[in-house]
Amino acid sequence: MGILRLSHVEVRCPDLELSTAYYTEVMGLIETAVEDDKAVYLKGWDEQQHHSLILRYAPTYGVELVAFKVAEAGDLDELTAAVEGYGIATKRFAAGELGPGSGETVRFTAPSGHVTELVHGMEQIGNALPLHNPPPEPLGLSGMHPPRLDHVFLMCEDVDETTRFFTDVLGFRLTEQIVADDGHQLATFLERTHTAHDIAFITGPDGAFHHVAYWVDDWNDLRRSADIAAYHGVRIDAGPTRHGATRGWGLYFFDPAGNRNEVYTGGYWADPDREPITWTEAQMGRAVFYYEGVVDQDFLTVHS
Amino acid sequence: MGILRLSHVDITVPDMDLARAYYTGVMGLDLTDETADRAFFKCWDEEDHHSLAVRYDPRVGLDRFAFKVEHEDDLADLERKVEQYGFHVDRVSRGAEVGQGESIRFETPSGHEMELVFDVEKVGGRTSKLNPEVPVDLLGIAPPRMDHLLINAEEVGEMTKFCMDVLGFRMTEQLVGGDGHQIGTWMERSHSPHDLAVVNGPNGALHHFAFWLDDWDHVRRSADILAYNAIQIDVGPTRHGVTRGNTIYFFDPMGTRNEVFTGGYRPDPDFPTITWTEDNIGQAVFYYEGEINDRFVSVHT
Repeated sequence: MGILRLSHVEVRCPDLELSTAYYTEVMGLIETAVEDDKAVYLKGWDEQQHHSLILRYAPTYGVELVAFKVAEAGDLDELTAAVEGYGIATKRFAAGELGPGSGETVRFTAPSGHVTELVHGMEQIGNALPLHNPPPEPLGLSGMHPPRLDHVFLMCEDVDETTRFFTDVLGFRLTEQIVADDGHQLATFLERTHTAHDIAFITGPDGAFHHVAYWVDDWNDLRRSADIAAYHGVRIDAGPTRHGATRGWGLYFFDPAGNRNEVYTGGYWADPDREPITWTEAQMGRAVFYYEGVVDQDFLTVHS
Repeated sequence: MGILRLSHVDITVPDMDLARAYYTGVMGLDLTDETADRAFFKCWDEEDHHSLAVRYDPRVGLDRFAFKVEHEDDLADLERKVEQYGFHVDRVSRGAEVGQGESIRFETPSGHEMELVFDVEKVGGRTSKLNPEVPVDLLGIAPPRMDHLLINAEEVGEMTKFCMDVLGFRMTEQLVGGDGHQIGTWMERSHSPHDLAVVNGPNGALHHFAFWLDDWDHVRRSADILAYNAIQIDVGPTRHGVTRGNTIYFFDPMGTRNEVFTGGYRPDPDFPTITWTEDNIGQAVFYYEGEINDRFVSVHT
């Protein structure tokens, strides 16, 4: 079965208290565990598993790692062999070894320079609803309260090579690409969940983090999220707007440490045999921001 | 890796002209193919040949429903499993059916003809694969794709067991009677709340099939379009307790129930099943109203 979906993302922040306040009260995630002065674990209200975001204390910002959930325990062995076959060393961790709720984990560094994990058996703690006669959504949640994590967007110097690794070795499928006039890939969008993307890469420094995106149910939630961000003085980077690539709608803003967040909705269902969409460099503005038609320099150059 | 998603629903209609007019002009589907007594439709974002087939017959009804499998080997694998369960399977050879290659067909414990297909003719979506625009010239409701169907069965438990044990469906939710038997079950293969649902009723009957919409605002706009065209709305716009989706039910002019649906959640394969008890059946089906009208329970095709 292989990789099921994005499991969680770990970001660095120099002020754990401030970042925790932001992620629980503005973003509206639910705190599930704390390691004093070291890390805070969070999840969207509808997520069944222990966490989808880890805030890790560090003197700087950026992404510590991205982790994908595999469907079956045997997938870990199969994918470990594939990654090592590509010439990348892996390290295995038992369930619980990497912190509260953690499942059995294989860790390696992708060609893009990002620490990447494959996880099976993270602790299931249930969503915020009963399993008998549940209401559609809990009341009294704070802030934007997205139901779940959606995708992550990373930067790397060689998008072609990273994309090859994620498709050939990890089994991702390419849904869209932005191709430069000289033929190399400026950006690629990859999926395992039959959605428009679970992970995407854009040209930039290796190991850099562009954003992590949480799902909201519709365009009206994006408007409400923008109201909440503005109310709390959170700096909005772009949107609410439409993406040409993925056909989704997004709102970008920054957490207190300077890590970019997105709330995202829309997109399409992608069968495994759906032919990828190509955007040309001349149309890159519309590929990223369909309404504006231009990408502002901050969006391309500011990362963490 | 087994069944991927719903592929197409094949219904019968007594008036082909009316069916064509409604499904293109009101529902906003694309007519992709026609034969002497059949018409084939797809949604604008679907790339496969059709997701709805209508055939002339004096009676309104359901010919069959078809699910798409992910790999070619899945057909032989599932054929063996269905036969081992004790059901006869027919192979439909390439060229025998419009818009698709080889498939298998069999009768389910619920008395429906079910089809599994891998090789579906690709006709492409409305948008380009190079710098695609978001389409703005769509007519009617114009859902991007088909979503799920709900069938009736006398023995919901037996049909559910067949779908899960033989076909690999996972049950996301169930409605359980006071005596412990299943009144309704919702099952998925596509990591959505349901691709196929089964509710107590006569064997072989279709309750409705549903098209996906992007959001609640599209649901509202669909209600405007239905009202403008004098289409009989059955229930909604409203919310389901089961699946947590937002919805409208209505009847095509020949009498088959349609739904437009959005929302819900994304269950992993290890998602714990949600159970609704019979005393909460009203909220389970229509969360805002808290009760079900008789027509919704008794009318099927």
